Amino acid sequence: MPDTSFPVEMVSGVPVVATPEEIDITNADGLRTALLEAAGHGPRGFVVDMSRTQFCDTAGIHALVLAHKRASAQDSEIRLVITGAAVLRIFAVTGLDDVIPHFASLEEALAATSGSPDGS
Amino acid sequence: MTAVDPVSVEARLRDIQSITDAALSRLDDQDLLAELLDRTREVLQADTAAVLLLDFSSGQLIATAAAGLEEEVRQGVRIPVGHGFAGRIAAEHRPVILDRVDHTTVLNPILWSKGIQSMAGVPMVAGGRVIGVLHVGSLTPREFTSRDVELLQLAGDRAAAAVQSMTAAADRAAVTALQRSLVPSALPAVTGTEMAGRYIPGSGAVGGDWYDVFTLPTGHVCVTVGDVAGSGLAAAVIMGRMRSTIRAYALETADPSEVLGRLDRKMQHFEPDALATVVYAVIEPGVDRMHVALAGHFPPVIAHPGQPAKLADVQAGALIGVAPTARRPVTTVPFPPGALLCFYTDGLVERPGEVVDEGLDRLCQAVTAQSPEAACAAVMGAMVGSEPARDDIALLMIRRYAGRETDANA
Repeated sequence: MPDTSFPVEMVSGVPVVATPEEIDITNADGLRTALLEAAGHGPRGFVVDMSRTQFCDTAGIHALVLAHKRASAQDSEIRLVITGAAVLRIFAVTGLDDVIPHFASLEEALAATSGSPDGS
Repeated sequence: MTAVDPVSVEARLRDIQSITDAALSRLDDQDLLAELLDRTREVLQADTAAVLLLDFSSGQLIATAAAGLEEEVRQGVRIPVGHGFAGRIAAEHRPVILDRVDHTTVLNPILWSKGIQSMAGVPMVAGGRVIGVLHVGSLTPREFTSRDVELLQLAGDRAAAAVQSMTAAADRAAVTALQRSLVPSALPAVTGTEMAGRYIPGSGAVGGDWYDVFTLPTGHVCVTVGDVAGSGLAAAVIMGRMRSTIRAYALETADPSEVLGRLDRKMQHFEPDALATVVYAVIEPGVDRMHVALAGHFPPVIAHPGQPAKLADVQAGALIGVAPTARRPVTTVPFPPGALLCFYTDGLVERPGEVVDEGLDRLCQAVTAQSPEAACAAVMGAMVGSEPARDDIALLMIRRYAGRETDANA
């Protein structure tokens, strides 16, 4: 049974949602809720740290896409940290690698943070 | 009507029994609701009882069933959540008792013009959210007690369960009818080819997977397999719209990338919350080649006679509903005599906890260049077996006859 909790942590003033080892239909709803909440956090965007995630099915992809759309609609941005080969693969298959910015490490994702530090 | 006497334990148990009566379950849901309203009126010695159900799209409560207050249903009374008596119950998620019924406390004029003096109402809750309101009214002034409200809540819970099962059954019936009407009953006859398809609903609910094959006046053969995110009636309705949108744009342009691009623009404008994956292929009139574009979908599998099947080398393109200007390159795939093309949705290849490449490998091993019906059977056997499918599955096979075969011996 995959982990269903999605802790949100502030790192250098940016919300970071860490995803569990597996994301599938059983926990994608929880992920969607956590991401949509993080997407409303402000104009500096947020990071989804998927470096622990080894498996993500289409239900997980849909949650990420919804959060990306919500963030874009609010002139914000979602940035992903992806290291797992299987996750990169599903990202390529769904054509999302051109759409949602993703990075190989949390440091790179944070460094790419847009907007000013005071969030104005 | 006199105020309710303090009820004995025995009488109270009888009241509870009347509302929770197992025999009620033998009625169908619509009758159960009517019977439940009658019994609620009786045990609470009320003159009216009514159920209003929440319409999620409009945020209004709609009068659905009533006893002693039938005009509420016949006139289609609608109350916005948050307003008036019923609207407050739904918004605040808790019982409300009214000992004054007039235009300041109640929105619906039927209630005060009818002469109702006191009211009590409870939220109907299913799956943690309010789906409606049950209320009773008295033509003589009375104080509804906390015991009355407890009984009313019991009836409200029972009504909520009945309504949910009614809605689920109606949704299932509608989705099944929709799926049946949309999955082609007969695939078109295309000279030089034979085809077979399967649609298997998932164990949870019927979803938004579909396949479609049609010919154009130019002789091109168009093939679509797609998967709308989500399940149930909402996904099936969007699936139906996407299927006809693709057919409409297919008549306008032979470029698969252009068809998917227009589909995406249409979806993002009219169904901004929808997400879907689609593979769209156009086979040339001579059946020699296929032009294919992907929108977040797995590429088709192609099997040549005597060779292991493999994923067609098609460039990825973004899902429908994500980015306004997604590019979806068109790949041309040769379709030689004897070859078999296999289109499918993710439900066929995804298994919990398994990397999707393993499912795709298994699919490639199961596909061989044989008759489409046999190929469908072999793939379903290898990929699904006797397990109920978790997600719904659409599968479509198209084979080009080998040199000497003709349509006549198909």
